[in-house]
Amino acid sequence: MKKPLLASALLAAASLNGFGTAQAQTASYTLDPTHTFVTWEALHLGTSTSRGRFDKKEGKVEFDRTAKTGKIDITIDMASITTGVAPFDNHLKGKDFFDVTAHPTARFQASGFSFDGSKVSAVQGTLTMLGKTQPVELKSSRFNCYENPFFKREVCGGDFEVTIQRSLWGSTYGLPGIPDNVRLLVQAEAIKQ
Amino acid sequence: MKMPLMLRAVLPMLTVLSVLLCASPAQAQPRQYALDPARSWVQFELLHFGTSTIRGRIGPVQGQVTLDPEAGTGELGLRIPTASLSTGIPFFDARIRQDDLLSTSAWPEAFFVANRFRFEGAQLVEVRGEFTLRGVSQPLSLRALNYACRTPGPHEPNPDGAREVCGGDFEAEFRRSEFGASFALPFVGDRVKLQVQVEGRRR
Repeated sequence: MKKPLLASALLAAASLNGFGTAQAQTASYTLDPTHTFVTWEALHLGTSTSRGRFDKKEGKVEFDRTAKTGKIDITIDMASITTGVAPFDNHLKGKDFFDVTAHPTARFQASGFSFDGSKVSAVQGTLTMLGKTQPVELKSSRFNCYENPFFKREVCGGDFEVTIQRSLWGSTYGLPGIPDNVRLLVQAEAIKQ
Repeated sequence: MKMPLMLRAVLPMLTVLSVLLCASPAQAQPRQYALDPARSWVQFELLHFGTSTIRGRIGPVQGQVTLDPEAGTGELGLRIPTASLSTGIPFFDARIRQDDLLSTSAWPEAFFVANRFRFEGAQLVEVRGEFTLRGVSQPLSLRALNYACRTPGPHEPNPDGAREVCGGDFEAEFRRSEFGASFALPFVGDRVKLQVQVEGRRR
């Protein structure tokens, strides 16, 4: 397995990230882009669930497990949307949906962390998409920190989800046949710096 | 997407008419559907270090389904192009194609063949059959979550002139070790969850 190569590439990228080391308790984490994905689900004409994914993203996380505080800032490259069906991808990138030429990125910023014991149970923040910023709360269905044997560092992460109404961001094409509710499933892991 | 007012008024009447026509006993025979490649995909989920869920996509799934809801029977044969897998990380995709995981050189496709369909009323709730992955066959049960049929609307693209589209979401679970795909156990979980989107078009 060539994982060490990937690990060293990630660590090199992480060390270039320029995080301050001065914070006493708050640790900085860099998003592991290989284990961080947004997958969306939307019902197709009342029949079956269509899914897609955004492949390019970057971000940083500050997290203090003792004080139970943190900050998240993630940018998603909207042109990296992929469903497996090229004409569908092109439609989604166009003006009817994400209009990626005018709005190439979406951004999730959060500084509200809810805990259930030592585990993050929800994250409250804002999602900026199509030039509009709206509050969102991601519920955590799973959260864990572990020592990653490849990075030899602590990794924290989990599964998060939220159902958004796309119309709140001005995305109204095809309503109501193409539903307003879109479920976002977020896998996230971040490596301690 | 806005429907003309006239059409909106007439549509319910047409729907009632078509239901009456379809419900005639002469129609009670198996219906054949071909999977729509734009709407027939497998998503798999695996747990990474007990922490977060890895997801990947395989498809489009190809195949035929025959259904007789009145008799409560059906059969299907699906081909799943495992070599097409996509996780969003090309390095992972290449690794998963290797011999100790999906072994796609030797086994470029997985198969699901089933003839045990369970209906509750007209609603399909479960399909049981045989799943073949890496050349290993095991029984597998797919639970139907959403299942619905629709008549393509006047504004829905319908290049093949389908009379009816049926489909839904199906879920299944298996242990990859039972199929010999054992690399990275236990860091990456043994349990694989499948979420299958399927729409079949009746010509």
